[in-house]
Amino acid sequence: MSLVDATRSATNSRRLPPLLVFGVLGGILLASFALPFAVFLGRTGSVPVVETLLGTASRTAVRNSLLTAPVATAIATALGVPLAYVLARETFPGKRLIEALVVLPLVVPPVVGGAMLLSVVGQFTPIGAAAARVGVPLTDSLVGVVLAQTFVAAPFMVITARAGFGAVDERLEQASRSLGYGPLATFRRVSLPLASRAIVAGVVLTFARAIGEFGATMMVAYNPRTMPTRIWVDFIAGGIDAVVPLALALLAVTLVVVATVQRFAGVPTVVER
Amino acid sequence: MTLELRGVTHRYGAERALDDVSLSLDDGELVALLGPSGCGKTTAVQAIAGHLDPTAGRVLLRGADVTDVPPEDRNVGVVFQRPTLYPHMTVGENVGYGLESGDLAADRVSERVDRYLELVELADRRDASPGSLSGGETRRVELARALAPEPDVLLLDEPLSALDRGLRARLRDEIVRIQKQTGVTTLFVTHDQEDAMSVADRLVVLRDGAVVAAGAPRRLYESPPTRFVASFLGRSNELSATVDDGNGSRTVRIGGTELAAAAVPDGLAGAERAAVHVRPDDLTLTPGARSDGWSGPSERSDGPSEADQRPIELSGTVTGVRDVGRRYDVRVEVDSGEAVTVERHRDGLSEGDRVTLTAAASDLTAFPDPA
Repeated sequence: MSLVDATRSATNSRRLPPLLVFGVLGGILLASFALPFAVFLGRTGSVPVVETLLGTASRTAVRNSLLTAPVATAIATALGVPLAYVLARETFPGKRLIEALVVLPLVVPPVVGGAMLLSVVGQFTPIGAAAARVGVPLTDSLVGVVLAQTFVAAPFMVITARAGFGAVDERLEQASRSLGYGPLATFRRVSLPLASRAIVAGVVLTFARAIGEFGATMMVAYNPRTMPTRIWVDFIAGGIDAVVPLALALLAVTLVVVATVQRFAGVPTVVER
Repeated sequence: MTLELRGVTHRYGAERALDDVSLSLDDGELVALLGPSGCGKTTAVQAIAGHLDPTAGRVLLRGADVTDVPPEDRNVGVVFQRPTLYPHMTVGENVGYGLESGDLAADRVSERVDRYLELVELADRRDASPGSLSGGETRRVELARALAPEPDVLLLDEPLSALDRGLRARLRDEIVRIQKQTGVTTLFVTHDQEDAMSVADRLVVLRDGAVVAAGAPRRLYESPPTRFVASFLGRSNELSATVDDGNGSRTVRIGGTELAAAAVPDGLAGAERAAVHVRPDDLTLTPGARSDGWSGPSERSDGPSEADQRPIELSGTVTGVRDVGRRYDVRVEVDSGEAVTVERHRDGLSEGDRVTLTAAASDLTAFPDPA
């Protein structure tokens, strides 16, 4: 019996599903996601969820989060998509630096990001003071919350949209130009629709990150409370059970928004056959 | 002159993709821009369409300098090498896309979409998705899309390269038909000499970014101006030749065998060394060796015109026979050790056989002083 035959028969004798090891490793990770989730939700029964959520503090937090996260997402989209397009299409000196800058907010811990923001827009900085003077305080305000959320969440938009534009063959845009469309019309009629799935994915990620944002928000605008900052306050005051209602609300809002965006904004990028 | 390039040069960094390229297309002409991969063909297309700014030189359309005009204002139709139909639009919307950018009314757009889909014989696929089309249909829709706005010039960048052989030939004929029917001035870019020769009124051969030959396909094929053109336009055998003017009489050797100067093509005059090209289908094989070396018409020659009529003979040994279906490619090593390929339509030769090669002197093209 040759060596190959020997090896083959040994393999056959203990034939296992080919990806068993991978499945087991992945399963461990999945369990570490699912277990805390399930146990946490298991506490729901012992907490007056609805009553708590109807309380003023909770309602204010939910309202603030629902006001700020969509605005942060909109800003990140309006400014991030053009940047993503430029990064996907152009080469220019210093491009690597710009790319590093884009991921900076992802690399920096949110609390530190918040501190950085404070150093620019804080109450006693020139910008912060000027804004406060005209009645738009940039800290401890909803504007501050939006700033913090945008800072932390916008990179998701840029990175995802950039990948989307990068996957659109440049020749498709050139064809559009040769068919009489200028660069902007080509962007609107070809690049944008073809990258729409990636952009929608970016919107979803950005929104989920923004509405859950805590670290930077806490530094820039501890008040007015959003859901995450309220959860922190509740936790300090009442332990884990106290955060269950708002945590559920945050989860629900995020799920509903993500599902809705994907349902309605998920523009088909391919004509049905 | 519908399209004219004047001394167009383009560099990507230090690399020169186009080197002082000048060419012009008359109204309604179909010109093939032919060259091996990486010779700058696509760069030329990009420069004409306006998708890149040439480093130097001018591009003129209908006499107007458009070098600095953006692509959307050039009225140049392009079919790219890779398919570029928009997957988020139907076939009809794709064809109508270039019409909506103009000021055509919606019903006129629709009418013209129908007309051009009929031209490419795909009228029934108007509502289909591009993804459901075959490779050939995709190309035809792209052709319709490029033609619908009625461009001044149509650029076809390797339109057949992704298709299989049978489809290739059919689409090639289709392109010629559509071009004749619409009369659009067309630059057909290809690396395939067969495609180029069969479609074009005129050939422009590009090598390393420079134009090395231009003219009617048949003329370039039969009397190629350079060795490169000879070997690139169809298959060719190259043999070394030496000319010796000693002792008052000229002695010419091709492939190691001596023949009389009179039998030799014009290009050899005045040169000491040369390369001689002969097409594989211009060589005839006869089994059995010649008795007396080259049978140049030396002693019997009455003049060059008669010498041209007489065949040149050369003996060698078969080193291999390859059956390629519609013919046999026979490799023969001639007595100088150089190898030639002969096309033959009969079998019956095998390795080691002694054979005689025969060619008319007029089928030989000589290039003096090979490098």
